[in-house]
Amino acid sequence: MLVIRPLQENDLDALYAMAEGAGKGLTTLPADRELLTKKINHARETFNQRCAPEAGLYLFALEDTELKRCVGISGIQARVGLDEVFYNYRLSVTVNASRELDVHVRTPTLHLSNDMTDTTEICSLLLSSSHRGGGTGLLLSRCRFMYLDDFRKHFSEKVFAEMRGVSDDNGQSPLWDALGSKFFDMEFSEADMLSGLGNKSFIAELMPKYPIYLPMLPDAARAVIGQVHENTAPALKMLQAEGFNFNGMVDIFDGGPVVEAFIHNVRTVREGISRHVMIRKKPLDMNVPAEEQVMISNRSFRDFRVTTIPAECIGLDTVSVPAEVAEVLEVESGDRVRLAPLKDTGRR
Amino acid sequence: MWLVRPAQPGDLNDILDIAGGQGPRMSSTLPKKEDALSAKIEQSARSFAGTNKADEPKRFLFVLEEASTGKVQGVSGIDARAGNGQPFYNYRQDALIHASHELGTSRRVEVLYPSHALTDHTLLCSFTITPELRGSDAFELLSRARMLFIASHRELFTDQVVVEIQGVQTDDGKVPFWDSLGRHFFNMDFETADQYSGLLSKTFIAELMPPNPIYVTLLSQAAREALGQPHTQTRATFKLLQQEGFRGGCYLDIFDAGPVLEARTDALKSVVTSHPKTLHAANTDDGELCLISGGEGEGFRCTLTTLTESLQGEVKVPLKTWECLGRSSGDKVRITPL
Repeated sequence: MLVIRPLQENDLDALYAMAEGAGKGLTTLPADRELLTKKINHARETFNQRCAPEAGLYLFALEDTELKRCVGISGIQARVGLDEVFYNYRLSVTVNASRELDVHVRTPTLHLSNDMTDTTEICSLLLSSSHRGGGTGLLLSRCRFMYLDDFRKHFSEKVFAEMRGVSDDNGQSPLWDALGSKFFDMEFSEADMLSGLGNKSFIAELMPKYPIYLPMLPDAARAVIGQVHENTAPALKMLQAEGFNFNGMVDIFDGGPVVEAFIHNVRTVREGISRHVMIRKKPLDMNVPAEEQVMISNRSFRDFRVTTIPAECIGLDTVSVPAEVAEVLEVESGDRVRLAPLKDTGRR
Repeated sequence: MWLVRPAQPGDLNDILDIAGGQGPRMSSTLPKKEDALSAKIEQSARSFAGTNKADEPKRFLFVLEEASTGKVQGVSGIDARAGNGQPFYNYRQDALIHASHELGTSRRVEVLYPSHALTDHTLLCSFTITPELRGSDAFELLSRARMLFIASHRELFTDQVVVEIQGVQTDDGKVPFWDSLGRHFFNMDFETADQYSGLLSKTFIAELMPPNPIYVTLLSQAAREALGQPHTQTRATFKLLQQEGFRGGCYLDIFDAGPVLEARTDALKSVVTSHPKTLHAANTDDGELCLISGGEGEGFRCTLTTLTESLQGEVKVPLKTWECLGRSSGDKVRITPL
């Protein structure tokens, strides 16, 4: 069985292995033991409510109960840009118009912005290659929306995700080459890594602060603004299906888009229902296709658990779950749980 | 003999001919359209006569006349206040140091800031001459007659004088700086924009340029190389102005990035070295070749002459110079060596 739970200290080795396997591009989880340990500790403090709500970092592990090992991770950062400065470029338009000259020219322009400050970010999604497919990625990502909705007061009304932008096989980013590299004496991968390690002040110090008029950049750079890396396309599609939209912000290094949604509009939240648990005695075939699975969460802030069960378990007022599912969810008969379809049902 | 005098309505056709023969660039300060030019000449006449309305900018237009034929071969101008009551746009080339304490690195970042700092400085402008005369004595006369005018009408002008020098243009008429920057905001080539600039006003066009600073590093290489560089055809003008005491600073033209030269009015060579003298007749053509000017306002004349000086502040010049200047014995004149 696959179950979501808060990340723990003993997940470090598994986490490190995954970060290492992910390579460059995952800026929030670099393969650095010290940093990962810090992140795990931060997450522990958060779940135990020993840090201020706005400083919270919620990291969830996907555990394979047979392997007894963490095989995936996903996260929520309660608020960005509070202890450092959070930068994006806002893609906007400058219009030049003159009736006398018969001129009306629209110039796409990048403005350095801190507009996402104080907003909740979903981040750090990583899934071990051995467990990809069959809706596992969906569970890992979407479990967060159940959490966000159940504990709304800890988060902003709006959540966003930064999507990885375009870079080639050698890690070269066309936007970085045309823009960032003119201001930084370093390679894209290095800048990206430094940013991931949390050293953000160098960005403020070195990045151009005046607007960038896009026609002054080469076509190759302009073409990738707001575009995702091909490996990130499925993740983007998944978020779009949840109701996330491009909000006009792009990453300052690689031009990857920022997508956002109001929590109450997220599909997993809208389609969520709640039921009382009944322990089921009848045998049940757990191996059903992803379309017929539903996520089930125990709604616990501190000991959050989510797994999937077949949709047929859902009754009018109750949900009947096998004893072993109730056990991993740490629920008993009569407890209220939350349910939501794993896959987009097409219902609106 | 060459004579520089205030432009008059009758000069219109000659000036149109000269302006038309210069290629597109000269239009920016000298309109090629008859109505616009005619209005400019009239405004100049009012400026010389001192009959402008209180809020009308003073703009002076001089012509270079071949005295024997009356044919006009060149034009030069002074705007008493650059911008003529509107903002006068330039880029100021400046630098920022982007330094990271954390990474221990720093980098010099060149930036072009839109600037109005030169607004209301006296501006030399509209210099246009028949191509064959470029670099000749007449060329120098036409340009420097303005400094003599400033010297003898000092109260009309400010303490700083500026002059815009045409920037780099390729043989096929392309302006690299415009192509890398301005073109994106107008969707038109340099020539078209320049025509509008002459037709409407430079300020009008300038206000359509991006309002924010421009990072030099994002310009094309050709545009970067053109920053502050004069057009090859302006070499003679550039040299003459340098001798006059003008120096390039950090200001650039916003369209072609040509240099804007600056000088302190009271330090201009023609102003420093020209002295008021009393006019007398000489029998011979002997002596040093000098610029000589006389008359006030609309009566201002400037020409080249041989002369001999006495120690009592008197100059002896040939009679034909008198005629040319419209002055006679005992009148005050101003001279400066060529």
